[in-house]
Amino acid sequence: MKQYNLLIVDDEQRFANMLAKRLSLRGCHCEVCYNGQQALDLVKQKNFFLILLDLHLPDIYGIEVLTRIKAISEMTPVIILTGHGTEKDRRACMQQGAYAFWHKPLIIDELMAILARIEEMSL
Amino acid sequence: MIDRIRRAFGSIWPVFHRQDNKHLDPYFTFTNYGKIWAIGISVLVVTALVPLMVVTIIHYRLLQESVDSELTLRTERLTSNARRAVTFFLEERLDALRFTVNEIAYDRLTDPDHLAEILRNLKLGFGGLIDLSVIAHTGAQITYAGPFNLEGRDYSKQRWFIECQKRPFYVSEIFSGYRDVPHIIIAVKSFRPDGSFFIVRATLDTERLIKTLQSYETGAYAHIFLVNRSGIVQTPSKEHGEIFQKMSLPVPDFSERTQVTMAQNDKDQLLIVGYAYIFTRIADTPFILMAIKHKAEMMRVWQQLRSNINWFVGSGTLVILVVIFFTCTFMVNKLYHADRAKAETMALMEQSNQLATIGQLAAGVAHEINNPLALINETAGYVKDLFVFKEQYRRDEELIGYIDDILEAVERCGTITRQLLGFARKFEVKIQKVKLNEVISDVLVFHNKEADYRNIKVYVDVPQDMPPIETDRGKLQQILVNLVNNAFQAVDNGCILEIQASPAQADKVRITISDNGCGMPEENLPKVFEPFFTTKEGNKGTGLGLAITYGLVKKLQGDISVISKLGEGTTFIITLPARIQEEIIENEGSIGR
Repeated sequence: MKQYNLLIVDDEQRFANMLAKRLSLRGCHCEVCYNGQQALDLVKQKNFFLILLDLHLPDIYGIEVLTRIKAISEMTPVIILTGHGTEKDRRACMQQGAYAFWHKPLIIDELMAILARIEEMSL
Repeated sequence: MIDRIRRAFGSIWPVFHRQDNKHLDPYFTFTNYGKIWAIGISVLVVTALVPLMVVTIIHYRLLQESVDSELTLRTERLTSNARRAVTFFLEERLDALRFTVNEIAYDRLTDPDHLAEILRNLKLGFGGLIDLSVIAHTGAQITYAGPFNLEGRDYSKQRWFIECQKRPFYVSEIFSGYRDVPHIIIAVKSFRPDGSFFIVRATLDTERLIKTLQSYETGAYAHIFLVNRSGIVQTPSKEHGEIFQKMSLPVPDFSERTQVTMAQNDKDQLLIVGYAYIFTRIADTPFILMAIKHKAEMMRVWQQLRSNINWFVGSGTLVILVVIFFTCTFMVNKLYHADRAKAETMALMEQSNQLATIGQLAAGVAHEINNPLALINETAGYVKDLFVFKEQYRRDEELIGYIDDILEAVERCGTITRQLLGFARKFEVKIQKVKLNEVISDVLVFHNKEADYRNIKVYVDVPQDMPPIETDRGKLQQILVNLVNNAFQAVDNGCILEIQASPAQADKVRITISDNGCGMPEENLPKVFEPFFTTKEGNKGTGLGLAITYGLVKKLQGDISVISKLGEGTTFIITLPARIQEEIIENEGSIGR
């Protein structure tokens, strides 16, 4: 299995860490950050296979982060993973080029399936 | 019975007496319409009828008084006239006798032939005399002229003679005396030169007096007769006592003038009694003239008038009452209907406000729960991962089972929060032309097997020529699936489910889904669309089905309402616009927002 390089952006630290651990067990390399600015810095430095982005971040709102990520690295797929998403958010995110808009809790097998599909498509 | 009367007099018996919708009560401006109605009627009745009654009573009194005084006056006149006649009758004869005694010497008076001639002359001149006699101071009759053979009688013990001795003139009451015929005696006392006195006595014909009296009896209801001062009837009286018997009325008080009083006879009839004590210029008499009239008979004409007035006032009052009743009922009914419409609107508004608030709350709760849920999910997932990825625990099915329980519970919570969010907002509406009969048959495909198995008859009634509507097919399907599911759960085997669609007013369509299942109690109806409200026992339902349906219908710019009766069935009525307005969707986003 290829080692996917993932970025998890979520202010809920325990959740983000736990998710990172689970994904690591499934052979992914995960970087975790807890606010928008850190995420943008990381995106500038590295190339990620996929980014999991929460909307409610302490510094920058998720949609803004998404827009900026897309400006830096347009091809990186971003999945919005939120506990508070509204219909309006969903529409805005999809417009900004989000790959999917998910509500927590996350079903990890679904994520794995998506990763596999993205890899297939990029090949 | 009462109900039938109420129906018959529907406009008099107001609808607001039927308290049908208890749950609307708090929204009414006025609570007691019966009271308003009663007060309105009372006030109108009092203001309309009191003046009428007062005027009528005053009129009665005036009428009564004027009639009374008129009756009194008339009776007084009659009595006076009769009195004058009687007085004149007696006076005339007394004067004649006095003239005779003064003019004719004692010797000639005691001569029987001469006395007979005097009698003849008096009869010619005045009439009404029967006989004439001269009586000595001893009471012995000296001379007699007349038809009865009374010569030589001794009157010394007779009452009239004793009375006669005391005064110069005397008028007796009517009595029978020796001759046994009712008569009146008038007598004049005169003195002879030697100082002894003698009395000239004349007997008067009572018949003539009676005729004179009767001539004054105008009409059938006046009775005129004489009584003496002890109340013994002297001349025939039709109904106030036999002759020489005590009069049935009390003896009236003495008065010099003619008097009129009221009295009651033994049959409780009101009588107008006119009376006059009769006395001549030169002598008192024992007579009282009585003129008696029945008031009722005198009043007959007046009573006719009064009964006419009564009829007029009575029918007028009835008309006023009916008008007041109809007007009051009409007005209060109008008020009631207006208030009821307002109450219904308010109840609906409150319900949808409540639902919107609940929707917001539910969405908020769902959002807040999602984060901790996610953490539980990931943590439990990680623990499971550790087990699954490590050889040591991979085969420990018990441990993995526990973790799976946690994950399953989290998943169920996740489903509920997703549904809750769905109640608050649903994803985009895709507008397309939809044929209602197609959608309904698509929905029923899912239920065919269950319907067969449970022997539930499903009738669909959609007019063939019904034009397709423009709406979101998926959501409409979802709405119908929810409602049909709901109905299937509510009915027993062998029941009937009916789905109807028809065009409604103002470019809308109406879809009704009715079952004849167990129904719902009235107090539950306002709550059925609230999230988590369920009547299903145990863990069968989340209580979100109808709440989501409500949200979906709102999303399609429609309305949903429910009618239900316990034990009779439930009907859901959905009204949808024939064409959905896109701008509104853009602005609304979701209900409760």
